[in-house]
Amino acid sequence: MSQGPLVEVDGLWRVFDVSGPWLNRVLERRPRRTLTAVADVSFAIGRRETFALVGESGSGKSTIARIIMGLMPPSQGDVRIDGISMSSAEARQKRADLRQRIQMIFQDPYASLNPRWRVDRIIAEPLRAFGLMHDRQEIEARVAELLKLVGLDPADGRKYPHEFSGGQRQRIAIARALAANPEFIVCDEPTSALDVSVQAQILNLMRDLQDRLGLTYLLISHNLAVVRHMATRIGVLYLGRLVEVAAPSELFGNPRHPYTRMLLDAVPDLDMTGRVRRPVEGEIPNPINPPKGCGFHPRCPYQNERCRRETPSLSAGDDRLVACHGVVEGRI
Amino acid sequence: MTAPVLSVRNLHVAFATRRADLVALEDVSFDIAQGEVLGVVGESGAGKSVTGAAIIGLLEPPGRITAGEILLKGERIDNLPPSALRKIRGKRIGMVFQDPLTSLNPLFRIGEQLVETMTIHLDISAARARERAIELLGEVGIPAPEQRIDAFPHELSGGMRQRVVLAMVLCTSPELIIADEPTTALDVSVQAQIIALLKRLTKNHGTSVMLITHDMGVIAEIADRVAVVYAGRIVEIGPVREVLKRPRHPYTRGLMGAIPTLTSDSDRLVQIPGSMPRLNARPPGCAFNPRCALAIDQCRRERPPLAGDDSKVACWLAGASEGSASPREVLS
Repeated sequence: MSQGPLVEVDGLWRVFDVSGPWLNRVLERRPRRTLTAVADVSFAIGRRETFALVGESGSGKSTIARIIMGLMPPSQGDVRIDGISMSSAEARQKRADLRQRIQMIFQDPYASLNPRWRVDRIIAEPLRAFGLMHDRQEIEARVAELLKLVGLDPADGRKYPHEFSGGQRQRIAIARALAANPEFIVCDEPTSALDVSVQAQILNLMRDLQDRLGLTYLLISHNLAVVRHMATRIGVLYLGRLVEVAAPSELFGNPRHPYTRMLLDAVPDLDMTGRVRRPVEGEIPNPINPPKGCGFHPRCPYQNERCRRETPSLSAGDDRLVACHGVVEGRI
Repeated sequence: MTAPVLSVRNLHVAFATRRADLVALEDVSFDIAQGEVLGVVGESGAGKSVTGAAIIGLLEPPGRITAGEILLKGERIDNLPPSALRKIRGKRIGMVFQDPLTSLNPLFRIGEQLVETMTIHLDISAARARERAIELLGEVGIPAPEQRIDAFPHELSGGMRQRVVLAMVLCTSPELIIADEPTTALDVSVQAQIIALLKRLTKNHGTSVMLITHDMGVIAEIADRVAVVYAGRIVEIGPVREVLKRPRHPYTRGLMGAIPTLTSDSDRLVQIPGSMPRLNARPPGCAFNPRCALAIDQCRRERPPLAGDDSKVACWLAGASEGSASPREVLS
């Protein structure tokens, strides 16, 4: 096993064509319209790390997750997992072997489990699909082990998904993800559909499993507090671009990018400390027609002429990466 | 001392099924004073939304009020005929729901909907109503209201739609607003804007608000008092600072510890074992007893009354376990 990062995302772009049908375009003389969901995103995830992507709706978080999982091709750029490219043709055979080492947990445990299948069949599916086990008793034993691992009873395997609460269903989804002994799990908003007390159970479980099994997570979330609790490094997305990447203590203790600051100020003050916060201004622009230059400049109190003209790239500061002219120039 | 704007007394709500009546709300009592924001917080299925629906007479059959009284400025409204209630709903009690699209008709321009609401409930000409609509749209922070008034709901962003709903609620100057998860469908930054707006509007207009939410952060931002609902009963009610900083009910404590925050540094979240019992499986005694680490025999037999002065709690051990300051220390 090499010692480099497990996941490398390199110059990733994803552009969707959202133009009308061809005939309408011709008759109504409308141009082609594109939506850039992911723009020039690069990051790496080390082994046993939890890398989190935060951002608001439409910031490109889930698109990045899908590209990493190989569920969607990138328009440009590449994803390499353990050095194997997820899009190049030569790596096809290697990629097939890689598949069982990466798994995904989805947001809605009501939609991600087949309601007609018993839980034991759901959990055993990866074992069968990857041809890891054929003997029935062996499979049964493995399913029982997995159910115990996620805090359920082995007897629960005989039930159907509708007999479980949302939190228990998410445990089943986690058990299924773990069935093939993956190294890397992409978690797309794993607790957004759950109540807080259940969310705490699932987050604690995810951490325990990471410690026990040496897992690497990519955590996608819009909840900054969840991300702070779970992540070892955090990437903040705005309009498809990474604007800041830092460890939680740096990001939350001393946010540098104006968008990160705004986002932190928007989080309700549960501890009622009465900290002074700048009110949020404006809304996320339409990604079909994003602003020129830095995507955040129309809402940024520090913007100047250069911000309106030139898109800042992610450059290294002392303890983080930040994409902001103001920070680089020392204005902010 | 003036009469409270809303007074709910010993409210019981049940849903009739073939087997038995399922009790959704049991003996719920609270007051909302003039200009006060009461937060009602709880997990899915606790009975928050049912409380709101019962107050405005929008319980879906087979749900019905089986006992108790609801008083609006001292007059009973729970036994009014539907036609009389319809005059109160939208005029004296306004409603905001989670998804603004459910409150707005997609086929009509937002101005038409505002004008219609006003001409139905108020003695006002259509021309004057339109002027007032523009004023209100401006007040809720919609840029260029004289143009936006002719927009269709789909032309607006989620945050803007919720602003329109707020304008529509305010146009009849209601005494009470029932807001059911008004910010849940919105991104954090937009949520912060809507919370700030709601805060400002209720202050300026002196409107009372019943804010139903599952998000303690939202409660901390805006509520004056908070009622914590668990399995159809209020388990704790009091001034928001009191309840959030020094929760007395073990459930409230667990809940506060389960929420990851931007300031806490604990490795593990407090975990309340299990999940809330279903309507048909509520245990005898205190409904929380199977999940409570402190439960004694009495908790399993007798239901604790909601007792106290300004701050009330329904727990047999409330007196005994007080004094432990931080919610994160308990139960862990």
